[in-house]
Amino acid sequence: MNPTLNPLLRRYRAPAGYLLLAVLAYLLPYQLGSYDMHVLDTAFVFGILAIGLGIVMGIAGQINLAQITLMGVGAYTTAVLTTQENYGFWVAAILAVLASGLVGLIIGVPALRVQSHYLGIVTLGLSLAFTDWVTTSTLAGSGSGISGIPVPPLGGIDLSDDYLYYYLELVVFVLSLAFGLFVVRTRLGRRMRAMRDDPLAAGSGGARIPVLRMTAFLLAGLYGGVAGVLYAGLIRFVAPETFSTADMFLLLAMVVIGGRQSLWGCVIGALALSVVQDELTDLSTYAQLGYGIVVVITAVVAPTGLAGLPGRIRPLIRRQREQPALAPFQPYPATAAARETATGRELLRLDAVTMRFKGLTALREVSLSVGAGEIRGIVGPNGSGKTTLFNVISGLYQASQGTVSFADRHVHNLRPYRLSDLGLSRTFQNLRLFRELTVREHVMVGLDRTRPGWAWRYAIWPVGVWRAERRLGAQADELLDRYGLAGFAKATPYALPYGIQRRVELARAMAGEPRLLLLDEPAAGLNATEKAQLVEIVRSIRDHGTTVIIIEHDMGLVMSLCGKVTVLAAGQVIAEGAPADVAANPSVIEAYLGRAAAPRQTDAAEPAPSKTKEPTV
Amino acid sequence: MSTAVAAPPHTRQLRVEDLSVRYGGVRAVESVSFSIAPGEALGIIGANGAGKTSTLRALMGLVPRAAGTVRYGERNLTKASAHTMVRHGIGYVPEGRHVFSGLSVEKNLLLGGYSRGWRKANQEALDGVYARFPVLAEMAGRPAGALSGGQQQMLAIGRALMPKPSLVLLDEPSMGLSPKLVEEILDILTGLRAAGLSLLLVEQNAELAFGATGRCLVMENGRVVMEGDVARLRADDRVQRSYLGL
Amino acid sequence: MQVFLQTIVGGLNLGAVYALVALGFALVYRTMGLVNFAHADVLMIGAYIAATFTVSQHLPFAVAVLASIVITGVIGLFIERFLRPLEGRDFDLMLIGTIGFGIVLESVATLIWGATGEAVPSPVQTRPLVVFGASVPTYDLVVMGVAVVAMLALSLFLERTRRGVAMQAVAMDYDAAKAVGINVGRSNAIAFAIGAGLAALAGALVGPELYVSPTMGGSIGIDGFAAAILGGFGSIPGAVVGALAVGLLNSFSADYFQGYADLATFVLFAVIVMIKPTGLFGEKTVLRA
Repeated sequence: MNPTLNPLLRRYRAPAGYLLLAVLAYLLPYQLGSYDMHVLDTAFVFGILAIGLGIVMGIAGQINLAQITLMGVGAYTTAVLTTQENYGFWVAAILAVLASGLVGLIIGVPALRVQSHYLGIVTLGLSLAFTDWVTTSTLAGSGSGISGIPVPPLGGIDLSDDYLYYYLELVVFVLSLAFGLFVVRTRLGRRMRAMRDDPLAAGSGGARIPVLRMTAFLLAGLYGGVAGVLYAGLIRFVAPETFSTADMFLLLAMVVIGGRQSLWGCVIGALALSVVQDELTDLSTYAQLGYGIVVVITAVVAPTGLAGLPGRIRPLIRRQREQPALAPFQPYPATAAARETATGRELLRLDAVTMRFKGLTALREVSLSVGAGEIRGIVGPNGSGKTTLFNVISGLYQASQGTVSFADRHVHNLRPYRLSDLGLSRTFQNLRLFRELTVREHVMVGLDRTRPGWAWRYAIWPVGVWRAERRLGAQADELLDRYGLAGFAKATPYALPYGIQRRVELARAMAGEPRLLLLDEPAAGLNATEKAQLVEIVRSIRDHGTTVIIIEHDMGLVMSLCGKVTVLAAGQVIAEGAPADVAANPSVIEAYLGRAAAPRQTDAAEPAPSKTKEPTV
Repeated sequence: MSTAVAAPPHTRQLRVEDLSVRYGGVRAVESVSFSIAPGEALGIIGANGAGKTSTLRALMGLVPRAAGTVRYGERNLTKASAHTMVRHGIGYVPEGRHVFSGLSVEKNLLLGGYSRGWRKANQEALDGVYARFPVLAEMAGRPAGALSGGQQQMLAIGRALMPKPSLVLLDEPSMGLSPKLVEEILDILTGLRAAGLSLLLVEQNAELAFGATGRCLVMENGRVVMEGDVARLRADDRVQRSYLGL
Repeated sequence: MQVFLQTIVGGLNLGAVYALVALGFALVYRTMGLVNFAHADVLMIGAYIAATFTVSQHLPFAVAVLASIVITGVIGLFIERFLRPLEGRDFDLMLIGTIGFGIVLESVATLIWGATGEAVPSPVQTRPLVVFGASVPTYDLVVMGVAVVAMLALSLFLERTRRGVAMQAVAMDYDAAKAVGINVGRSNAIAFAIGAGLAALAGALVGPELYVSPTMGGSIGIDGFAAAILGGFGSIPGAVVGALAVGLLNSFSADYFQGYADLATFVLFAVIVMIKPTGLFGEKTVLRA
């Protein structure tokens, strides 16, 4: 194949594809009979609803078994306002979407306190409560539903015609999908996905988990409302049966089979299943059996659904190109900030911090002072409280007693995201990466320092979001180059070798240019070369202006890297000082080996080492 | 005192060859080999992260063994799954005790003898454990989670002794215990040796290992870097350097 | 007063059924880490089997119930095989996988027994008892009595027998359980079978009170699930207490709120779960975001 043709094809592949789809979509009604048209119209409604479920469940990871209820709220509100309050259709529609959004927020409130099966049962319960209400309340037609919803007026176009309604739906659908994809592929979606994959790491990186959850449910509500409005305009009759739990499970099946983490997958799943379900109404029980089996198989074998299949098949059929390699680290340029930190002002201070859990005192009156520009080592035997110390500093635990000050501010009861705002960053002992995010996205999450109020721009000024996205991408690329990760930009972390995963976590932690970086056993599992690289990187990080505290077991590493070392044993500080001094300290030796220093082999001529010296602490 | 494990002295040797463990991309243990003669006590010491616990867990079958063979007596246990090990006479005291915290002390002990039966089959062994650890007899009805660290450690050891094993694997029994309790652990281990049990003791506390065993391996970064009699190792300051990175 | 007592009796009756369902859920979750949304459909299968034996085969009710428990328990062993890959996994997948399996059970039931369902005559034909002015159908007492016996039997099994205590141990510490020689895979399968048996018992008992149909599992399942959660998911005594609470809640809601009973119940439930997310007896921690 002509090599110069390839890049051209690649560049126009996506727009050409969209154009083709657009043409097909325009021509489709001409091919279909009126019954099929109606089926397709209904399918599109579910497609929009599925996008909402995809966002809240697939992207943000929140179980929402009340998604169909949100459609019900939209449809019923439209119905009630048009038939009983005589509002115009479109006015009612806007109010209905707002109402659904509000109900979405209400349903989301439990998500602030509980997750997984608790959230599942609560949302399911609320969904039943809604069904209950519409079946009983006279306002909602007491179980027989509301009929006589007016045809939506649109200039001279008769929207009672399914063919013409299709075009209305198509426009709404395309806008909904486009907005959904826009959210998913920019910072809001990325933060939600980070929250889904590891809420702890996301929170420690600055994400406001509660706000993100509520935003997800709000979006679910809005999409549900739009779907409900379209449904009301299409069928012009609403009844409780359409919003039953059986339909909720059908929607769930659509989203899972299609691939819940991909909006395209949700949409394809919804369209496909609606059509299939209709085709098989005569064989409905066998159809039901069939898709029950498909759902089980999908959950067990292909959790990423249809949309995830290409990603899983591709590595199997395509020959491995040469493996990308880790490029060398490019040291940070020396900056003015580095000069500032060289003053050695106190940056972090712990005063008599005690941490008690049920029956266990993990930290006992620990006092610590770290100056700006230091690389401080925290060492100690297994179970001495080192990671607990980090968890207290980074806000994951609240100290039972004592205070923590960061940059002259009392911070000991602040949440992790607040500490992140103040310039604290950390890595984790057991490596917390975002399973489904690419390496580039990891770094973008780290770079993203915007506050939650920013999310309003999605509604008001999307162009700003787009421009910021491009800037963020450019910064990410720079950072990837610096850390030698450019070759891995598009890879997901858990497929990568361990040493590279560690590098990714480090790059993510440094992306926000923190003032203080906590590294929890960064060398665990690394080989000698990788450890040497780590030393180089940490030194450059310090020279760039970030103070580093590092927990490590590899004493050789600690020796070469740290200016000062604090030794913890059984939750207390037993020694502090230069590494060589600390290593010779008898209390330290005893804490590690369980005994005093080994008596040295001496010649007769050498004087015996004095044992009368007091141990230095 | 030795009624609990008064089985006739056994003649089974443990032979481990070329054992490796890999977690994801990390080589936690690389090609470790050792053997334990009947009645011998072997220690594995080393700094944190050296791979000692992974070695023990792989031996027990709790993590997949990437390579290597494990033979005990005439049996080849390389492919044996974890829950069959106890039937071959191998007892296990996990790192961090791992008692069944919601169950009573007595039920914990009876579960130790699960492979033999329930109350009737284990009564004699139970009496023996209570004789060896009187504090467990006192707390027999209390939930295991209410015991102190030292008591839980005794419970974990007692539980492992119930099926009258011939080899006991212990993973850092001194962790989190005060020096006084560590002394008690040493006494217990000495007692077990005297009763003819083989021991494999993984410890960060080198002093305890030297006191309880006759021979030790020193591990670093997943490999065995030193091996020898306790007397020699005690005097060798390379051990100290290995721990303290000097 | 009479009405009040009546409502309580009704609530206890419901509570007894929910308790059997909730116990099955709790047992399976505790031992296997599986949240089984198909549990209610297992109940439905149990109800159908008992109904078939009673109505078609004219067996005595008690025998039919026992047969149903045994057969469903065996089916449970096979179901566990299929659901094993989902254990301990991502919750979304468990949810969807088990729901899918529930749909399969419903379709199979429809194919075997038809979609219309059947009515099972009450096995107890005596007149209702009158206690303090409240009319207590005798069958209600039978249901409550059987439920109590089942709970006691389960407790005895879990606390006093070798396999039962081992089952608890597996739930507490997987690796230590293996180290003492417990075959955890087999223990889990048996736990699941017992859970299925309990569901079948609930279904068989409730058959004469409700209409046996392929979709009958729906609301009982949700209430049973809610009961297990209220009690603290995974706690056995919690499941019982939660079940009684949900039963009484449902009964009183039906009385005071009539048509809006479900609404009242679930709003209240949502509020309770949010106030005490770990449930009455549970230990699960809430993440500090």
